[in-house]
Amino acid sequence: MGATYSSLGLITRENQRYRVTVIVDRCKECGICINVCPTKVLVKSSVLNKFGYHPPEPAHIEKCIGCRLCEYNCPDFAIFVEVASK
Amino acid sequence: MRKTFASGNMAIAEAAIVAGLKFYAGYPITPSSEIMEYLAEHLPGQGGIVIQMEDEIASINAIIGASWAGAKAMTATSGPGLSLMAEGIGLAVMSETPIVIVDVMRAGPSTGVPTKTTQADVFQVRWLTHGDYIIPSYIPWSVQEAYDLTIKAFNTAEKLRTPVILLSDAVIAHLWEPLVIYERGEVEIIERRKPTSKDNYKPYMPGDDLIPPMACFGEGYNVLVESLTHDERGYYAPTNTYHKNSVLRLMLKIVKNISYVYEQETYMVDDAEVLLVSYGSTARTVYAAIRELRRRGVKAGMLRPKTLWPLDEERIYNSVSSRIDRVIVVENNMGKLFLDMKRIFRDREVYSAPVLSLELPTVKEVIEAVEQWL
Amino acid sequence: MVVTPRYIHQLDKHLRLDRIPTLYCPGCGLGIGLGAMLRALDKRISEGAVDRNKVVWVGGIGCSARMAFYVSYDSAHVLHGRAIPFATGVKLANPELTLIVVGGDGDIAGIGGNHLLHAAKRNIDMITVMFTNFVYAMTGGQVAPTTPLGVKTTTTPHGNPEPPLNIIKVVASLNANYVARASVTTPHYIEQFFYRALGMKGFRFIEVVSTCPEVYGRRIGLGDPVEMYNELKKRVKYKPNPTIDEALIDWEKGIIIGEFMVRDNPSYLEIIRGLK
Repeated sequence: MGATYSSLGLITRENQRYRVTVIVDRCKECGICINVCPTKVLVKSSVLNKFGYHPPEPAHIEKCIGCRLCEYNCPDFAIFVEVASK
Repeated sequence: MRKTFASGNMAIAEAAIVAGLKFYAGYPITPSSEIMEYLAEHLPGQGGIVIQMEDEIASINAIIGASWAGAKAMTATSGPGLSLMAEGIGLAVMSETPIVIVDVMRAGPSTGVPTKTTQADVFQVRWLTHGDYIIPSYIPWSVQEAYDLTIKAFNTAEKLRTPVILLSDAVIAHLWEPLVIYERGEVEIIERRKPTSKDNYKPYMPGDDLIPPMACFGEGYNVLVESLTHDERGYYAPTNTYHKNSVLRLMLKIVKNISYVYEQETYMVDDAEVLLVSYGSTARTVYAAIRELRRRGVKAGMLRPKTLWPLDEERIYNSVSSRIDRVIVVENNMGKLFLDMKRIFRDREVYSAPVLSLELPTVKEVIEAVEQWL
Repeated sequence: MVVTPRYIHQLDKHLRLDRIPTLYCPGCGLGIGLGAMLRALDKRISEGAVDRNKVVWVGGIGCSARMAFYVSYDSAHVLHGRAIPFATGVKLANPELTLIVVGGDGDIAGIGGNHLLHAAKRNIDMITVMFTNFVYAMTGGQVAPTTPLGVKTTTTPHGNPEPPLNIIKVVASLNANYVARASVTTPHYIEQFFYRALGMKGFRFIEVVSTCPEVYGRRIGLGDPVEMYNELKKRVKYKPNPTIDEALIDWEKGIIIGEFMVRDNPSYLEIIRGLK
């Protein structure tokens, strides 16, 4: 499944159960989400947001277990996890 | 209405009740403590709350908070306490919060003489906090006037969305005189103007009168009380445009209403050649002094401002005839209002006659002070 | 033209979206704390336990206190150290309001210390969340009441000569109904404690230990957000039902988080209503 970078400034990927969305222009590249993810779903992307930061992208989305640690530990409301509708 | 016999402090408390006071936070300080004590006894029965806070700083911040929750709020203190409230008063100016602060002047500087009076806080109420602003202040000379001007202070605060300072002093605080107490409905009580719609509501968007309608907490307006220089939404705006707009509007809204805010009385000025300017408790003696001077053949008159700030300079100037060639400012401090009068009456001779007295000065003391200029 | 921002993130409806992104530095723990608090508040609102229109956020001055104006509620950004007395006035003038006071360790325990003491003593109904980042961050890194001994800050360039304050011990010794400590490395606990506090009365106090990599971390060799986060996480230890004596907050020995005091003493409003 390819990453979608829509005109609203989101990077979204989903697996069978979970969908991870990054709001590109809110990210400050602190790296905490990448650090806390227990299954190493996230990597720093090559996208440059409008402030000059590289937001993460859920490159290994197939490993996402929906724990939402990224969402809870993001200081900038820039990443969240939803249950993908079946 | 009913007639009673009361002290200045009691009169202020009674006036606050009739004006609609619902929240009082204060700290004990001589000579103002009786105001809090009287209200602590009577305000709960009127549906209000009185809380003694841990210091004056907490008191001023608490009354600003209460005003934003929709209550009319007041505190009373004296010189040392007012000094502590400086930053809080600035917050009330910047956030345009209606509150009343009663300063019952005592002798200073510093701890001074807590139980006796001076009039030295005249400039403190004008310039206490940092920044550019105008804070209205009133100064009564009798118990009845303390009552009436307290109501006026509340009305001014609500009408103009500003803090207002009522300057009483240790003499008036503990003086007992006959007092007429009004019921609600017998006096004009002004309430703050509220917004009519939530659409596009901005907490600091002024109406044509330069005063923004004030929504309170809990009404669903997402109100923002802001101490930083802000735009109409209350968002921080550290730009020249907003800083200038802010300072100008906050001062202009008071200046535009000067005919409402400024009050004075004149006595025997029609044929006077010498004008004595005085205010507050000292004016009581000066009034007796001009009668004594008249007996001695001096055509003396008196001008008594009831509003110490802002001064309606044009009105002051025009309230005396050209026959007056000398103005003597008699005050219980080292010459403060003298500086304003010197500016206003710049085409006359203006002299300062300070009468420093811990109690009401005697007529003899006043005449001794003015004699040299007659 | 008024542009209504689209709600994308679940918490967007609680934020003043035209002020996002916040001015917080990358890796600043304050945003984590705010997110956790908003999740708890959202739950309480959906349950009907809290009326959204009756919530008031009050902050003094400082990075933490600024949270008050990032949220889309009635808010107040008042004077340094004076959020608690302001909130006291608000609550007593309209007891139906739910008061949330936010501030940093300097704002609440430094200049505002006296007010904190008395609010806890009165058990006045409000929640105070104090974010401890061990420094005065907004003004550039001066020593704070919680700065550990020996740390070189801008005003203690030769090392801080004062041992730090343990605010949990102070507040718990007064009359407060709820005293807890959490950390931004454990946002679920912040949410849990805040959720619980929202359902209680009286004075509720939560200290949230936060990361400040840019201004504080830099001085102790932890200028990278992830490094500082991981180092703090190593030192934080949750204890169930800890006693006040166990409320250690020491960068060398450990930081204990948990609920140190949970009780139901009469609140200020209850007492004055009973006295009438």
